[in-house]
Amino acid sequence: MKQGKAELGWRILRNAVLFGGLVLILFPLYLVLINSFKSLEEAGRNFFALPSGLNLDNYKELFTNSNYWIFLKNSFKITVISLILILILVPSVSYAIARNFERPYYKGIYYYLLMGLFIPSQVILLPVTKMMSKLNMLNHEGLIILYAAFSLTQGVFLFVNYIRGLPYEIEESAQIDGCSVFQTYTKIVLPLVKPMISTLLIMDALWIWNDFMLPLLILNRTQDIWTLPLFQYNFKTEYSFNYTMAFTAYLLAMLPMLIIYCMGQKYIIKGLTAGSVKG
Amino acid sequence: MKNNKKQKIFGKKTYFLFTIIPVLLYTFFYVVSVVNGVRYSFTDWDGLSQQMNFVGFKNYLLLLRNPNFWNSMKTTVCYSLMLVIGVIVTSLVLAISLNSLRIFKTLMKSIFFVPAMIGGVTIALIWDQLYYRVIPVIGQTLGIDWLSQSLLMTGKTALPAVVFVQIWQAVAMPTVIFIAGLQQIPDELYESAKMDGATAFQRFRYITMPCLLPTVTVNLVLVIKQGFTSFDFPYALTGGGPVRSTEVIGILIYNDAFKNMRFSVANAEACILFVIVAIFSITQLKLTSKGGVNG
Repeated sequence: MKQGKAELGWRILRNAVLFGGLVLILFPLYLVLINSFKSLEEAGRNFFALPSGLNLDNYKELFTNSNYWIFLKNSFKITVISLILILILVPSVSYAIARNFERPYYKGIYYYLLMGLFIPSQVILLPVTKMMSKLNMLNHEGLIILYAAFSLTQGVFLFVNYIRGLPYEIEESAQIDGCSVFQTYTKIVLPLVKPMISTLLIMDALWIWNDFMLPLLILNRTQDIWTLPLFQYNFKTEYSFNYTMAFTAYLLAMLPMLIIYCMGQKYIIKGLTAGSVKG
Repeated sequence: MKNNKKQKIFGKKTYFLFTIIPVLLYTFFYVVSVVNGVRYSFTDWDGLSQQMNFVGFKNYLLLLRNPNFWNSMKTTVCYSLMLVIGVIVTSLVLAISLNSLRIFKTLMKSIFFVPAMIGGVTIALIWDQLYYRVIPVIGQTLGIDWLSQSLLMTGKTALPAVVFVQIWQAVAMPTVIFIAGLQQIPDELYESAKMDGATAFQRFRYITMPCLLPTVTVNLVLVIKQGFTSFDFPYALTGGGPVRSTEVIGILIYNDAFKNMRFSVANAEACILFVIVAIFSITQLKLTSKGGVNG
């Protein structure tokens, strides 16, 4: 009897906590959504209520008068090309390290690459900005190369441990059957590491798409090479009074990731959890 | 036989080829930058001029006597402490609550994970608007004085207000990690404890807590690093103000390097942060290898 009461009390408390959390997460997003459909004057009158009609002026204005499409394209291009580079580099170098771990050279580069785990980003960011400016690489190409280089530490850490946990026999029999190392890699190893590849893709896609600091340092000079986070930040000053317009811009910047999340939330949560537990 | 040998040598070459580009990229853009950063910290370079003189430990000694630097260190520690306590407690409570749900579990988990999908800058800018337009309304209706103006405007409330926004986002990841940890605890433990008459609190204290300890370590590491290197949230919300009250070390480094023309000093600050993070990471690595974390 007593147990039952405690159980009920706990359930009420739990539901209250979860309800509070839901409100705290969804209410800000709700305000962004509804106010993006209002004129400034309407929002001033009634900030919290649903919009009186589907007023698309903010969207029209953003799509026609700002460079939203260009920034979206920039973000997309940088993320996709960086991910392709990362996908080519990380699994292959990890495979080489994992299968030659008894050799000093491979063990050495493993720990060499892992050093990055101990170094906070602030240490590299200032000198790398100077270097990129000297190399004339304050552009998309420079940023993409930096993402590829900076993704190595965590990627290699995840992959080497994963590959070393895989049974070696399959690769061995493939090599006895005449597969070269490269063929073994593409035909046997890559399919086996698919779960890790999706983890890596999701982690790095989120990082690159949402990253603010590196684009701020590398791309802030000219407007037409900005990414979406830079556009939003600079939007703050440009449209500081027109806040319904600002909300529209924030919504449009979140939208691509939220759409992808809706399509594959199960895999995204699973992949990110695997990555951060092991990384 | 001969063919096999040839293949082996060729195979070695392939392995080696796999490592060339990554090692070069990492060396050139990462390691060289770290070395340069350390080197700059021993000079008087302002970041632009042609002149660069070696000055030894002068930047470091100046920093140790600079109240702004100590203020920033203090702010960073406060920021990290608030972030760690806020995130760990909230995510633990959320994880236990979500994990015990029988219906809507997956849906609720997905909603609570949404903030992890949104970029820090977007979240900061949204909350900037909310602090300006929504919170004061709530404060005025409830008649609470300190809530009636934007929390970001006054020195006392700005830091917790910025931390709150980062917590809003940072809770998502540890929550799902905690849920994964909770699901690894075998049900039989709880059932036999129930039969022995253990109360809900006792079950939490003697089963959940000890089983969850490795997961707590994983999350702690994740959040402490986020705290010490925080930049996006304070930069987009307050830019370090008002009156340096939110000037965490990340902001101080950025401002000194690109606004105050103290490039070499900024590098020295980054190197001090480097030492702190390194000491912390090594300690943590030793602790976790003893505790034996497994995902």
